[in-house]
Amino acid sequence: MAARMSQTTPQVADADTTDDTVHAPRVRILVTAVADADLGAALAVVRRQVYEPSPEVVVVGQNLDLDNGVSTAPNLEEAIRTTDSSIDYLWILHADGRPRPDALAALISEIERNEASLAGSKLLKAGTMDELESVGGATDVFGEPYSGLDEGEIDLQQYDVVREVAFVQSASMLVRRDLAQGLRGLDPLLPPVAAGLDFSQRTRLAGGKVISVPSSEVYHQARCGERGRGWREQAGRLRAMLTAYTPLTLLWVIPYDFLVSIMDSIASLLLLRWRPLVRHALSWAWNAYHLPSTIRQRRRLRLVRSEGDEELFRFHAKGSIRLRAIGEEVSGRALSIFDDDQALARGSRRIWGSPGIWGAMVAALLGLFSAWSLVITGMPNTGFSFPLEAPTVALERWFAGWNDSGLGTSAAVHPSVGLTGLLSLLWFGAEGAARTLMTVGAVVVGVVGVGRLAGRIGLRGPGRYLAGLVVIAGPGTAILVGRGSWLALLAAAVLPWAVRSAFVHPHEFGRSRFTYAGWALLWGTVLAALSPLLALAPLVTVVVWRLLGGDRSGWFLAASSLGGGVVGLAFLLDDPAWVTDASRRLDVTVGDLWPIAILVAAVPLLFNDSRLRTLGLTGGLIGLGSIAAGTLLPLAPGPQEALLIYASFGAALVVAAGLDNLSRNVFRLVAAVGAVAILVMSVGSLLNGRLGLPSGDSNQRLSFAVTLAGSEGPGRILHAAADRDLIPGEATAGPGFWYRVLDGTGTTHDEIWLPPAQDGDELLQAALVEISSGVELRPGARLGSFAIDWVVLEGPEFVLDDALLAQLDLVPTPLDPDSRVYENGESVPVAGTADDPWQRSGTGYSGERVNNEVPLAVNYDESWEPDGIHQDWSIAVDGSAGRAWYDSTGDDLALPIASLVVVVGGLVMIGLGRRRA
Amino acid sequence: MRYAAVLLMFALALGTAFLAAPDPSSPEQAPGTEEPPVAICPVFEVGNQSTSISVLSSINGVGRLSTFAAGEETGSLEFRTGVSGAVAIAAGEAGGVGINGALVEMPSETTAAASVMSGAGSLAAESCADIPTGQAFISGGSTVRGSEFQIQLINPYAGEANVELTVTSEAGIESDDRFNSVIVPALSSRTLDLSQIIPGRERISANIEMTRGSVLAFGRLATEGEVALWRAVAPGEDWWLPVPRGAGTKQMLIATPEAGEIGYQVDLYGPEGLVETHAEGVIEPHGNVVIPLAAVTTEAAGVRVITTGPVVSALRIDSAEGLAWTTGSQVTAPVWLMPGARSPQGGSGSVVVLNAGIETVTVSIRALSDETIVRDLEVNAEEVLVTNLRGAANGYRIEATGPVVALWTSQRDGAGSAAIGIPLQDE
Repeated sequence: MAARMSQTTPQVADADTTDDTVHAPRVRILVTAVADADLGAALAVVRRQVYEPSPEVVVVGQNLDLDNGVSTAPNLEEAIRTTDSSIDYLWILHADGRPRPDALAALISEIERNEASLAGSKLLKAGTMDELESVGGATDVFGEPYSGLDEGEIDLQQYDVVREVAFVQSASMLVRRDLAQGLRGLDPLLPPVAAGLDFSQRTRLAGGKVISVPSSEVYHQARCGERGRGWREQAGRLRAMLTAYTPLTLLWVIPYDFLVSIMDSIASLLLLRWRPLVRHALSWAWNAYHLPSTIRQRRRLRLVRSEGDEELFRFHAKGSIRLRAIGEEVSGRALSIFDDDQALARGSRRIWGSPGIWGAMVAALLGLFSAWSLVITGMPNTGFSFPLEAPTVALERWFAGWNDSGLGTSAAVHPSVGLTGLLSLLWFGAEGAARTLMTVGAVVVGVVGVGRLAGRIGLRGPGRYLAGLVVIAGPGTAILVGRGSWLALLAAAVLPWAVRSAFVHPHEFGRSRFTYAGWALLWGTVLAALSPLLALAPLVTVVVWRLLGGDRSGWFLAASSLGGGVVGLAFLLDDPAWVTDASRRLDVTVGDLWPIAILVAAVPLLFNDSRLRTLGLTGGLIGLGSIAAGTLLPLAPGPQEALLIYASFGAALVVAAGLDNLSRNVFRLVAAVGAVAILVMSVGSLLNGRLGLPSGDSNQRLSFAVTLAGSEGPGRILHAAADRDLIPGEATAGPGFWYRVLDGTGTTHDEIWLPPAQDGDELLQAALVEISSGVELRPGARLGSFAIDWVVLEGPEFVLDDALLAQLDLVPTPLDPDSRVYENGESVPVAGTADDPWQRSGTGYSGERVNNEVPLAVNYDESWEPDGIHQDWSIAVDGSAGRAWYDSTGDDLALPIASLVVVVGGLVMIGLGRRRA
Repeated sequence: MRYAAVLLMFALALGTAFLAAPDPSSPEQAPGTEEPPVAICPVFEVGNQSTSISVLSSINGVGRLSTFAAGEETGSLEFRTGVSGAVAIAAGEAGGVGINGALVEMPSETTAAASVMSGAGSLAAESCADIPTGQAFISGGSTVRGSEFQIQLINPYAGEANVELTVTSEAGIESDDRFNSVIVPALSSRTLDLSQIIPGRERISANIEMTRGSVLAFGRLATEGEVALWRAVAPGEDWWLPVPRGAGTKQMLIATPEAGEIGYQVDLYGPEGLVETHAEGVIEPHGNVVIPLAAVTTEAAGVRVITTGPVVSALRIDSAEGLAWTTGSQVTAPVWLMPGARSPQGGSGSVVVLNAGIETVTVSIRALSDETIVRDLEVNAEEVLVTNLRGAANGYRIEATGPVVALWTSQRDGAGSAAIGIPLQDE
């Protein structure tokens, strides 16, 4: 800067030595004091201005301690008011500005030449290599400034033309004295940028012309504000808008700006930024508080106003600059997900030279195309895929709330209930849209996850992204998804990210380990929430990887990922049989071709370079080992689910290695053939348009329960079939058939898993044994005590069909052509009595206040309030409160709280790591 | 290590290919099918006819009698079988009005029930039915002048039933829409008056097939004020029938619902002992044969029918002592329950026991009333015992030392009834 200043040639001064100097305009310099700015230095620089007649210098500010000879004024308005009429121009200059010696002369010269009323200097950031801060600028209709400058843009005189602008900053502006007095100067309540904007707008409305004079250069230390950021600036812009616009314009601008504020806040929150929300809130509050003074400002402006709002609109950018910026950021971030080659950063013309981008685009487009039916017709509600509950209810259940599955229990719900509830909440509570978005998004997440994992390991070919299709539709995932396990799709998509979090790129070693650990913890948490036992996968992968001689993986990070498993602990501890009871196993068979294809793809990689060899062998071992264990061992559903997803992950690693940078090497070719075979088989299972999910809507089929329900609500549905796959969610083994109890209002995601049997469940089982034997003449009365309003028998006829031929109180009702439906007129309401039924309310029940006990047809638990008492297998509560709720105990809360601590801990670690980095 | 990994991969792939997966998980073993201890009875509470439901049990237990009509339960009352193990309840007390049905929930599994209808000049009795089968067949109806034949379809269950009737007569298979897809609503009884639909037929048979739900079918024949009641049963190939003594018309009808010819053989247990192949021949498709018995003997006798296909065998008695129909039994048994068996006031009753075995048996005849009366009588092999019923019992229990078949009759004022007993195979 000093060098540049020293090069200054006082050309204007030379010019001013001519006869014209007698007619040179007289200028008064108003140096406005700025906290922390060196006023003495500012005055010294000002005195070096080469301009005749020498300007009078007035320092504006309170409690100034200055040498004699310098005039002062308490505020800008006073300084302007007391300026006599011999002065032509006022140069308002911040004390943190350091103008070049010719800055004033340039301003005078151009303002005169252009017959302008207000001129601003080019501002350069002090202490930088001529980094541009402002050359005047445009705004949008909301006053959001748009400088047109890139971050860190260097001044190469590229903007050195005098032009009309929407506003100039108040750090250095030259204004006609008469206009300044008419406008009463800058608004003292406004920070610098907003003040400049406000003054510029008022100048223009008063008929003045506002120009930027790049030849007048001022180095700005920016001690006066945050360079346009901060809530005060935002509030100032709003005030400037409220001051300048006519009422008619304000009528639409204010609501529009309010909407923009909301959208900006929400979008920023999604980008994990909370400050915009606070800034908007404070901005509106500040303006509400200062509304009277704003009205006074408008009255003053009215006296000098000679132009309409159209004059301002001439310099406005279209739309909202704020939303445009957010949009660009979101799209930029989205694209950067695929772009670990930094192809985008290197320029769009070279994007397609990046093999990773090719692979990512093909895989993502193929995956998204495979979801067309989900987007058009919505998610299927069958198998293990059901709608989410309202987010608040889901989160309440997850936070040690009442588990409503079956006949109800205090056992913890599946951890995915909490995660999906949270995601629904973030998606504005629209759980249906959130579910579809999560499912379709899983394709992109999975594709990118495998690509980024392989990229971190060192692969650069297109195959690493294509392998992402294998993780979501590989040997195990396809089976689970084909049975309707929507969650398996999500878990498969997240798994590569969780494993990736245990690997560190060599260039990143030693950098922000907190961040890596935080991400490992978070990904581990998400993974465990989707499939609790899969939380072991990152650690197991690292073990296999290390055993085979791989590097870049971290034990600590793998352990951190495992720490996320705490989110699934409550579920596992409350239902250990989900991990141990092999009688609940899924009857699945992995096709014979899968192991062969994995073997063909993985073994030739043994003869390749160490990176591909290690990845291929790791994937092969994981894939084949998981397939063998998941199908040959008599395992419970928990480990079986984890192994099947893990098998797909292993196959995906093999494909990533097999398709990385093809060559004529025979081993590479054989591996590639095997990898392509895996890929083709995977894609084949995706092509039903639903990402492999089955079609159907059992909630729709059973909606008669709601349609025909009386005032007591639809109660429950007993769903039974000889084939377990026909039962929505998990099923209980009954006497010669499978069955489960469903909520008549429609099965939701939290009901998929059946908790351990309680007293009520055992009594129901006993009742079904008797009913299916045919000895029970009144099965409706037996089932009615469990609030079962409907019995639905699916599939081929079985023992219960025979038993229900000769009975007295279950009425066969032809409501569904695909099943046998029996209506039970003898059932009790789920809550309350037939005369005073209570309805579901959140995770509890509510209804008319009554002075007696209100029965709840749910499994007994002592934590039901108020005053829950044991009634046979169920509960009765005091009805005087008009509601019943489950009051979870401290012990139940421990693990959900620990999960929250883990999540918050992960976020804090990421934040700390970023600061350190 | 990497070579070990490759070997391991091969081992895993081979294991996956050749090792058997665990057996698929399956539900628990289905329990054996049991029938609830219930009986479904026809109820006639019209004009001067009333119905009494007699329940006979091996224990002093509590049961419930419910009547139903038009989709609703019209009445219900609880009863106790008492020390004797037998009780008779007027259907009207349980809300029975008109022609409808009643459901008896029995106090135990070794229980039987019967409907006994009586009116001025009419008497009819028939055992109530238990769980209905998918097919039932009834034969012996007539709609010639002076005779009214009705088939009552009773659906005591919660589900609507759909029935297909194939009605045959001497004219062949009757064609009428009213026999197709007959809907019997839940908890209802539907009466098909064949006198209106196919008048002038002399020998009517009806095959009743349930296409949905379940119904019980009873036939009711009224001739000159006298009424006979018998139920449709599942066809079989082996039938036993004790025949009471008496003159007039005593006929055994053998009818088949099958569309093919069926050979038959009738063995007669008469006064001269067993006469094998008393009659034999072929029954035409959907046809029937009538075996006259009164012409052979007016004494008590017994008949065994063996056929090559499914038939139903029934006994018709039409004499001065009244009109009666009853269906034969497909089994012999040592114990027989005869709910409702009694001598009506001013009339008489008898029990006919056929010893179908080849050894003499001792038959213990127990009248179930407040004062239980037991008589032990011997019946020679292949002979028939007839003994009078005494007193105001609510039913009889027959126990023999060998397999027998038992039937009871009652007569009063020119009206009569006959009903086969209910065998107890295992007690």
